Amino acid sequence: MASNPRPLSRFVKHLIFAVASLLMAFPFYWMVTSALKTNDEIWRSPPTLWPEVPLWSNFADAWAAAPFWKYMSNSIYVAFAIVLIQIFNSGMMAYALAHMKFRLKGALSALVLLGYMVPSTAVYLPGYLVLSKLQLLDTYTGLIISNCVSVFSIFLIRQAFLQVPHELVEAGQIDGASHMRILWTIIAPIARSSFAVLALITFIDQYNNYFWPMLITKSPEMMLVSAGLRSFFVEGGAYGLKWPLIMAASAFTIAPLLIVFVFTQKTIMQSVNMTAGSQKG
Amino acid sequence: MKGSTWVRELRPILFTLPAMIPFTIFWLGPLVYVFYLSFTEWDFMSPDKLFVGLDNYRYLFENPAFYKALGVTLFFCIGTVVPVIVIGLGLALLLNTRMKGRGFYRTLLFSPWVTPTVAVSIVWSWIFEPEAGFANTVLKFFGLPELGWLKDPQWALVGVLIVTIWKLVGWAMIFYMVALNNVPEDLMEAADLDGANRFQRFMRVTLPLISPTTLFLFVVLMIQSLQAYDQINVLTQGGPSGSTRTLLYMYYQSAFESFNIGEASTVATILIIICMLFSLLTMTVSRKTTHY
Repeated sequence: MASNPRPLSRFVKHLIFAVASLLMAFPFYWMVTSALKTNDEIWRSPPTLWPEVPLWSNFADAWAAAPFWKYMSNSIYVAFAIVLIQIFNSGMMAYALAHMKFRLKGALSALVLLGYMVPSTAVYLPGYLVLSKLQLLDTYTGLIISNCVSVFSIFLIRQAFLQVPHELVEAGQIDGASHMRILWTIIAPIARSSFAVLALITFIDQYNNYFWPMLITKSPEMMLVSAGLRSFFVEGGAYGLKWPLIMAASAFTIAPLLIVFVFTQKTIMQSVNMTAGSQKG
Repeated sequence: MKGSTWVRELRPILFTLPAMIPFTIFWLGPLVYVFYLSFTEWDFMSPDKLFVGLDNYRYLFENPAFYKALGVTLFFCIGTVVPVIVIGLGLALLLNTRMKGRGFYRTLLFSPWVTPTVAVSIVWSWIFEPEAGFANTVLKFFGLPELGWLKDPQWALVGVLIVTIWKLVGWAMIFYMVALNNVPEDLMEAADLDGANRFQRFMRVTLPLISPTTLFLFVVLMIQSLQAYDQINVLTQGGPSGSTRTLLYMYYQSAFESFNIGEASTVATILIIICMLFSLLTMTVSRKTTHY
C-alpha cells in the first residue's frame, strides 16, 4: 500500500486513531475509576472523571464479598483440562486426516465440516439431556468431556500437518516407528506454533465461557468465573446499590486476560493468519 | 494378508476415536435428538414424551412472538455484521500504512476481543445506566435528549449492538490487516500507472483481492451473532418486552425457563436450518465470485 507522507493527512489519521482508541479503551477506564469511587460519588451528575479520594479498599471488599479466587481457579482448572484433551484428540484426528489413508476419511471430514455450520448453542438442550442421562450434570467431568472436541482446533492442526511433507512420515515408518511415535515426536514438534495457538485460544475461550457452564454447574461452589461474577452482579444489587464493588469485581476478572493478552499477543494474532489459512484447505 | 488390510483400515479409525466419540455423543447425537424432540411435547418432568407430529411447528408459525424474535434476530445479525466489517476494514486500511504507534493502536483496538463477554457487559450496563451512566452524560453534554437505553424497548437492542460491535471490531480489523498485507504491491503500482486514482484502485484491485476475507468474516460473524447469548443475558435478558429476544434467547427461555421442550426444540431446529442454508449459500457464492 502506498503510504501518504502529507503531514495534514497524517495528522487526521492520528486523530482518527486517537478517537478510536479512546472509544475502545473507555469502558476499561470507566470500570477502574468507578471501582474507586464511593457510593455517593458514583451517582453524582455530572460524573467525576477521576475519584476525589480513590477508595482502593473497594477491591479488597469486592474480593472478600464472594469466593472469586475459587471461581477463578475453577475456570483455570476446567480450561486447562480442556486444552490438554484438545491437544491430544485434535493431534490424533488431524494426523489421520492429513497423513493416513482410509475409506471413511471423506465422510469424517464432511462430518467435521458440518460442525462448522451448525451452531453449537442450538444443541445445548439435547446436550443437557444427554449429560443428565449420563448422571454428569453438575460435575466437571461432564463439563470437560462435553467441551473436549473443537472443530476449530481440528482444522487448525490439520492445516499445519498438511504442510509437513509426507516423506517424513514414510521415513519414520521405514525406521520402524509407530504412528503414535511419528505423530508426537516428529510431526507435532514441527507444528508447535499451531499447537501454541490452539492452547491459547482454547484457554481464553473456555476461561471466558459462560452459557454452557452455567447450564451444567448448578452448585455455587462449582461456578466458573463468568457465572460467579454474574451472580455477584445480580445479588449485589445489580439494579442499585453496590456499583463500585461490582466494577471492582469486573476489573479483577478482566485484568488477568488483558495481562495474558499483552504478553502473548503475537501468538494470539497469529491465530488470525492460521484461521484464515484453514479456510482454504 | 486379510488381517493386515483390516489393521490398515482400523488403525486410522482408532486415531479418530478420541475426537469422534465425544463429537458423536455431545454434538451429532444431540443434533438428531433435537430434531426428534421437535415432534414431541414434553416438560422435563413427566416420564413420557408425547408424539405430536408437526403441531409444534404449527403453533410456532402462528405465534407472533416467534416472528418478533425472527425480526430481532435479523436486525441483530445485520446490525452486528455490517458495522463490524465496514469499520474493521476502514481501520485496517488506515493502519496498514507506515505510521507511528501502529503496534500500540493494533493492540488496543484488539484487546476487547480477549475479555470475558459477561464481565464487559456488566461494565457496559453501568455505562448505560439511565440516571448516572456515562452514555447519558455524553448525550446531555451535546444537548441531546437522554435515553432509557437498556430499559427502553426502542433502544435496548441498540445498546446490545454497541457492546457486540465494540467487542468484535478489532478482531475483524486484524483479519483485514493480514489480507491487505497480501495484496501484491506491483498490482497496485500497475493500476497506478494505468492512471487509476486511489478510489478506483481500492474498488478494482484491493476489494476483489480481499473478498475471501470478507466472505469468511461474513459467515463467521453471522453464525456468531445467531448464537449471541452472554451479552443479552447480562444486559437485557431478552427484554424489555421482548425487544432483544433473539431466536436463540427464545430457545433458551422456552427450554430452561418455561420447560417447553417441544417448542424449544422446534426453535433450535429452525435455527440450525437457517445456519446450514446460510453456510451452503455462501459456499456456493464463494465458488462463483471470490478471486483467489
